[in-house]
Amino acid sequence: MPELILEKPLAELLPVPSGALVEKQLKTEEMVLNMGPQHPSTHGVLRVELLTDGEVVSKATPYLGYLHRCFEKHAEALDYPMIIPYTDRMDYIASMNNDLAFCLAVEKLMKLEVPRRTEFMRVIVVELNRIASHLVAIGTYGLDIGAFTPLLFTFRDREHILSLLEWLCGARMLYNYIWVGGTSHDFPPKFKERVGEFVRYFKPKADEIYRLLTNNEIFIQRTRGIGVLPADVAINYGCSGPMLRGSGVKWDLRRDDPYSVYPELEFDVVVPTADECVIGDCLARHIVRAKEIYESLKIIEQCLDKMPEVENFDPQAAVPKRVKPPKGDVYGRAENPRGELGFYIISEGNTKPFRVKARSSCFVNLSTLPELAKGQLISDVVAIIGSIDIVLGEIDR
Amino acid sequence: MQTKNPDIKKTKFTLLEKIYLPEILKGLWYTFKQMFAPNFTFRYPDVRWNPIAAFRGRPVLVERDDKAGERCVACGLCARVCPPMAISMQAVETELEQERHPLTFEINMLRCIYCGYCEEVCPEEAIVMSKEYDITYFSRESAIMDKQKLLVPAESVKDRLDFLRKFKNDIRKESDQVANVQP
Repeated sequence: MPELILEKPLAELLPVPSGALVEKQLKTEEMVLNMGPQHPSTHGVLRVELLTDGEVVSKATPYLGYLHRCFEKHAEALDYPMIIPYTDRMDYIASMNNDLAFCLAVEKLMKLEVPRRTEFMRVIVVELNRIASHLVAIGTYGLDIGAFTPLLFTFRDREHILSLLEWLCGARMLYNYIWVGGTSHDFPPKFKERVGEFVRYFKPKADEIYRLLTNNEIFIQRTRGIGVLPADVAINYGCSGPMLRGSGVKWDLRRDDPYSVYPELEFDVVVPTADECVIGDCLARHIVRAKEIYESLKIIEQCLDKMPEVENFDPQAAVPKRVKPPKGDVYGRAENPRGELGFYIISEGNTKPFRVKARSSCFVNLSTLPELAKGQLISDVVAIIGSIDIVLGEIDR
Repeated sequence: MQTKNPDIKKTKFTLLEKIYLPEILKGLWYTFKQMFAPNFTFRYPDVRWNPIAAFRGRPVLVERDDKAGERCVACGLCARVCPPMAISMQAVETELEQERHPLTFEINMLRCIYCGYCEEVCPEEAIVMSKEYDITYFSRESAIMDKQKLLVPAESVKDRLDFLRKFKNDIRKESDQVANVQP
């Protein structure tokens, strides 16, 4: 039974003197309430079984599997390059990041060197995609809480990123751009200038989007102090990404286990401060996402400056004709917008992997939901699920 | 556990903001300005979106320049590389100079994931990604596209062929030559 906050004991507040009788009369039955799989605030097909006592949730259990597509089993039947379109479909809001994580793992297994220009190209597209993903997260979170306007603002700016990426590789969401050992296309002419233009255009807009929600009192009332996840609990559950950083832990794979060209780049790991939110609550996670957009912009600017220009550059020059890693196993990981995405690959020396295991960030982050939702109101569960920023494609794989 | 929300820092307002009217006018002025701002959207079914050459739409077979059939030589590479195994073909010999061509060529569009690998491996530029993007069917059978449905003249996918030559195949051939020079 959740604890109610009352100024006096319940018996004293009520006119009937007999405490025991009141307890008996007021005892309510717990009700099982199914939230989902068609609930709009679950961001997909997630079912949460809520055990409610009145409006207070005493137990929340997430049920998964409505979007299961057998990625891991599928991968065993496919050649390594053919798995990449399927990794796109895991976290479909940030496909580039998934591709990068998978390609990093395979490249680590094959001990493949990637051209320096390709590394910068990859980082630029990954960070662009990270901004697009955070924009969706912020927009839909506002929508969950009841603010419709931010969604229109964020989707307007996300459209620019999608157009850029479409120009680059021909698809708007499922890119299939980053390949093992390279990328599918080189940057088109004038692409760098257009990205620079976008960064200059987007900086004031990012401020606007940040202020729109974070300074809104209704939004703060709905999120501040709700779903507090202490740092030790977050670490014990294995959380990563904005979820962990929202709890005040400075952990970012781009800095702590650097890959690609991230060691050369300057950026901050965003953690919330105590004066703007309660550390670890929904607002903290939202603020981390909103501020990470600035860091991504910083990274893109540095990459545009540092990226070497190569005449007649062939991005597929380092792509092996046959991707055939030696016998062995590898765990490759990268920082996704939602946390650590890792691929554990066992190779038997064939063109097909023996086993691919995906460690998806959303799945791990969602496992904290029973902890966070316990004792909260039903409407706050919506706010909590929104702040975890789940993508069901990645949870069920 | 139900916890009390911590106190919220109230924003300090100036006198002008406290009067409230100027703020309302500010908001109205912002809304009014948006009426003359450029549109971010268009009315989709009436106004059609024209994709760029890089766009990966429905895969099509390209007709030979002399209209005698398709460019495809039925090598089977696209069927081999297709991740969802959407492509199937049967090869026969032909009188044309290419000597082989597909007797049947089918793409199951329910399976196709528009990854573009078929176009990537094709040695003859015979299968390319067109610009078609709104593909709907009334039945599952009609989604399996045969050779007649897939075949298009080369002019209709000229954009894409130019794009491939400029940004993909030419560069690749150059680097292949370089690789041949240094044994």
